[in-house]
Amino acid sequence: LEFAFYPGCLILQRMPEYELATRAVLKALGIELKIIQQAACCGAPVVESFTGDWLYLSAYNLAQVERMGHTTVITLCGSCTNGLTRTVHALQDAEVCAEANRRLEPLGLSVTGQVVVKHLVRLLAEKEEKLRSLFVRPLSFRVALTNPCQVFRPGGVMGVSGDDAMKPHVMRQLVELTGAEVVEYGGEDECCGATLYLAAPKLSLAAGRRKLEAIHQHGADLLLHGCGNSQLLLRNFQHVIIRDAPELRQRALFLPQLIGLAMGLPEKGLGLRGGFWR
Amino acid sequence: MKHPEACIQCGTCVTVCPVEMVGGHAIVTFLADPDATDYSVWLCTSCWRCHEACPVNVDIYGLMMEQRRRERAPGGYQGSFECVMSSGLALRISQEELDQLRTGWELERAELPPSGLARVLLHVDE
Repeated sequence: LEFAFYPGCLILQRMPEYELATRAVLKALGIELKIIQQAACCGAPVVESFTGDWLYLSAYNLAQVERMGHTTVITLCGSCTNGLTRTVHALQDAEVCAEANRRLEPLGLSVTGQVVVKHLVRLLAEKEEKLRSLFVRPLSFRVALTNPCQVFRPGGVMGVSGDDAMKPHVMRQLVELTGAEVVEYGGEDECCGATLYLAAPKLSLAAGRRKLEAIHQHGADLLLHGCGNSQLLLRNFQHVIIRDAPELRQRALFLPQLIGLAMGLPEKGLGLRGGFWR
Repeated sequence: MKHPEACIQCGTCVTVCPVEMVGGHAIVTFLADPDATDYSVWLCTSCWRCHEACPVNVDIYGLMMEQRRRERAPGGYQGSFECVMSSGLALRISQEELDQLRTGWELERAELPPSGLARVLLHVDE
């Protein structure tokens, strides 16, 4: 089984271990990812904040998926999943689709919008039975997870059938499947605040601090993320957030790294090296 | 910004907003109190919680985006936007740096988008 893979700016450039762990886990499930060559920014919410034309930048990425002959694209980040999915919906309007094709034509591309955008957490949830059979090492961590918000909302567009858009269960269920315990610290369904950084860095760090304090109070072994943004704030900027409170320190993993550990995959192949597995 | 007629000012959006939780005031402050002036649409984190929770389905996200396009952007957004316009991506990296990064992690090669891509696709006056 092979799917197209949209890396997004942040994961492509700053978080290769997320892609590495994803590939390792999916390989064990018999799934291979083909990266979209020349992929552009998904457009949301940065370009969207400046122009309604952001849809056409997003449509370019979908056109690349179609050119590859794929009908499903796997994403790892919340914003990208959200922007690409909303674009698929927008392209169902014949006029929007015609305009997208007018703009793509000089690039030798075309788009129909017949692409399924699927975040890793959704793909893994579909493979629950197979995962169960591959888990060889029950984990005993206490995990403080943050749901990737934009993967689930708006519920009507993101297609959360059977799940709750305000309190999604799929990531939680995957963690429990590994044997790990989900820490109920109250912020699992709250936005991490990472995107606030572009407009108000102090507020963004305060949002991160609020989360880390709640997690510390409830006791956890690690933070778990399914989005580059939350990892950026809560891992990469953590040293700034906890400068005066070192007791708040937490290691932070990506969902596929935890899943891979439960599968007994080697840590190096999950990107758990060079200080990531702290 | 024009206050949406459908809004019943119930305040649900404010209670679920992550920005309000840390003392910032995003678009939801304006919805609960149309006279409010101490808010900024740029503080919205795009988490869609208010949008999902609104009992009368106000298109809060859409309103916020429309208002952003009328206003001057903070430096962080402006910088990221200009980066997309020039490189196609919101963060800057050269093909050589990317090749090195991916080789180091034993990942397949990934090509960056062609320069000028965003200008073909977006009709924006900069």
